[in-house]
Amino acid sequence: MSSHNLDVYMPILILMGVGVALVFGAIIFGKLIRPHNPTRLKEQAYECGEDPVGVAWSNFNVRFYVVSLIFIIFDVEGALMFPVASVFKKFNEIGRGGLLLCTLSLFVIILISGVVYCWKKGDLDWVKSFHLDLNKDSESKKVEA
Amino acid sequence: MFDSVLFISSAVLVLVGSLGVLFIKENLMHACVSLLTALFGVAGLYATLGADFLAATQLVVYVGGVVILMLFGIMLTGGGTSNENKFGIEKVPGMGSVKTYIVAGVNVLVISLIVIRIMANVMKDYKAVPLPPYESTVEKLGTLLVTDHVLAFEISSILLLGALVGAAIIARPTRRTN
Amino acid sequence: MNESLISYLSQFEGHQAFVKMASEMAGTDLTSTISFMIYLAAVLAVVGVMATIGGLGTYAERKISADLQARQGPNRVGPFGLLQMLADGVKMILKEDIIPRDADKFMFVIAPLLCIVGVFGSLAVVPFSSGFILTDLNVGVFYLLGISSLVGVGIFIGGYSSNSKWSMLGGMRGASQIISYEIPVTLSIIMIVLIAGGMSFGTLISGQGGFPHQWYLFHNPFTFIGFFVYFIGALAETNRAPFDLPEAESELVSGYHTEYTGMRFAFFALAEYIEVFVVCGVAVALFLGGYKVPFDLGNGEAFSALPPIIGKNIGQFLQLGSFFTKTLALYYVVIWIRWTLPRLRVDQLMTLCWKYLTPIALFNLLMVAVWVYAFEGQSMFELFSSMGSGSSGGH
Repeated sequence: MSSHNLDVYMPILILMGVGVALVFGAIIFGKLIRPHNPTRLKEQAYECGEDPVGVAWSNFNVRFYVVSLIFIIFDVEGALMFPVASVFKKFNEIGRGGLLLCTLSLFVIILISGVVYCWKKGDLDWVKSFHLDLNKDSESKKVEA
Repeated sequence: MFDSVLFISSAVLVLVGSLGVLFIKENLMHACVSLLTALFGVAGLYATLGADFLAATQLVVYVGGVVILMLFGIMLTGGGTSNENKFGIEKVPGMGSVKTYIVAGVNVLVISLIVIRIMANVMKDYKAVPLPPYESTVEKLGTLLVTDHVLAFEISSILLLGALVGAAIIARPTRRTN
Repeated sequence: MNESLISYLSQFEGHQAFVKMASEMAGTDLTSTISFMIYLAAVLAVVGVMATIGGLGTYAERKISADLQARQGPNRVGPFGLLQMLADGVKMILKEDIIPRDADKFMFVIAPLLCIVGVFGSLAVVPFSSGFILTDLNVGVFYLLGISSLVGVGIFIGGYSSNSKWSMLGGMRGASQIISYEIPVTLSIIMIVLIAGGMSFGTLISGQGGFPHQWYLFHNPFTFIGFFVYFIGALAETNRAPFDLPEAESELVSGYHTEYTGMRFAFFALAEYIEVFVVCGVAVALFLGGYKVPFDLGNGEAFSALPPIIGKNIGQFLQLGSFFTKTLALYYVVIWIRWTLPRLRVDQLMTLCWKYLTPIALFNLLMVAVWVYAFEGQSMFELFSSMGSGSSGGH
């Protein structure tokens, strides 16, 4: 096996181990010297002095979900473009940069068209509730939410 | 030596994480965190196999993207802890019946037989050859993506376009016309 | 090739001889063990330096903000108040550790851990100098993007687990903001990868030089725009003002870490300050020439009068100085921006990301590809000089 090559992952593992050790070490060490006298009031969630009403875990707006869906799509796109981008220079040096340029442009343009579609349809707007269009008299107020 | 450490720690992460996903029932958020653990471990396994780009992709797409998507998805239902069902169903219906379990069992047998059959041939021919130098997995991947598999590369962008439009349409509020 | 600290050290005869001698004494091959020891020492050094920089970051933040607002800032503890960070540390560790009664305790404990692991994992590929980079992975930048996304998960879980409305809002905002701004950042990085022809930090930096006109910042007009796209995105990803909506103190008390006290809060703060350093370091590596020193002083060949081992190490120190100077200058800019600009609204934040930065970044990427193809990867200055000298410029 190529044991030497895998050694490059060693610092990553060590760093993460040090991070975990640091967090737990500091908290456990702190346990020895810090005070611990909890009261009912102290353990309440902070709501500016009021008693908290209900739990905070409420249903969230669907637009957060949409943002993460669009993010994943761009993420996968990035993952596909990284290897192509990293060979662009090599191909360009042997005179086949045009091929890569066409490939990459097609790829990006198809995705740009998706962004343009979403933009035109108003999916990129965060606040969609009221849209006052003062220029048109007929549909002066569109309620979209 | 370090190969084993990397492999064992990744495998333990995968095992613990996947068992957590299976057996944590009362809180979806905790299950999601153990899924994060499992996906992280899979990235480590890829690294062990020398597929460094795949490992990084696993981190970027799954750990950074899919887990956040799932967390947001859980928050759409208002967090994972409320046991009361909002839709009036007394208990969550079980996954499948006796019939489906039997079909699944037969499937498992057949698939594992096929896999073992294929693996046996591979194992017979296995010789301990050193892994090819993998300094250039990224470049190899990039070269293949723009030469042999250029059609797949372009079609994947159309697939992504479809996914983008689909996500936008599903999430769009339906407009009520009076 | 995956370069690392070990491959830098093993070019010296002393290191090789030591490994050989130790292996002979122990009777087994100790190469891996010695690598482990060296890495451990280096990791501890990096973590120590980073914790100090994080602590000094809080000090600098207060001192600079005081300066900008014509105040004094911390000046009682030690000379110029420099020991304030130690006092803060002692205070943090002595604070009572309060976990809210209704909180999700497991998640509450795990959230700062995720932040710290994500940030520490990204330290592994930060190029401090050509020799002192813990590991220069082939997929360097891409790995950094992936591992630092753990911070977003940590922030979301921190907000969720507290079971406080402020925290929940902050965590939700934080996660959606971090993932949104990752897109323009990724696209700007792809742009540089395209010019440099590789994803490892070594390759990214080796294409640049010590002087500003050799930096990728001035490679062509589009990289110049791309730098600002990256920098704005990086500010948002680290939750720095004007994008500090997840912890907006005037709206959400303290955002996702409202319920955190003592050391747990300290780890969130430490992760944030180190992450700012990391994104500044990446900006320096990608756009501002990284550790390159003018006149190639960094590779130590200028000190040929000295023994090569000393010359090389002087070069390394110059490179470290170059990297830290640029990064800390950017760090100053980040703090400066925080105390200058007002906070954005959520809808403005999303508009900026999806309607400005992402289209600009996509356009930049295409234009850089066209530039590299049309001018065969030459920068503006190379183009001007070749035109000036009368030889064929471009084609």
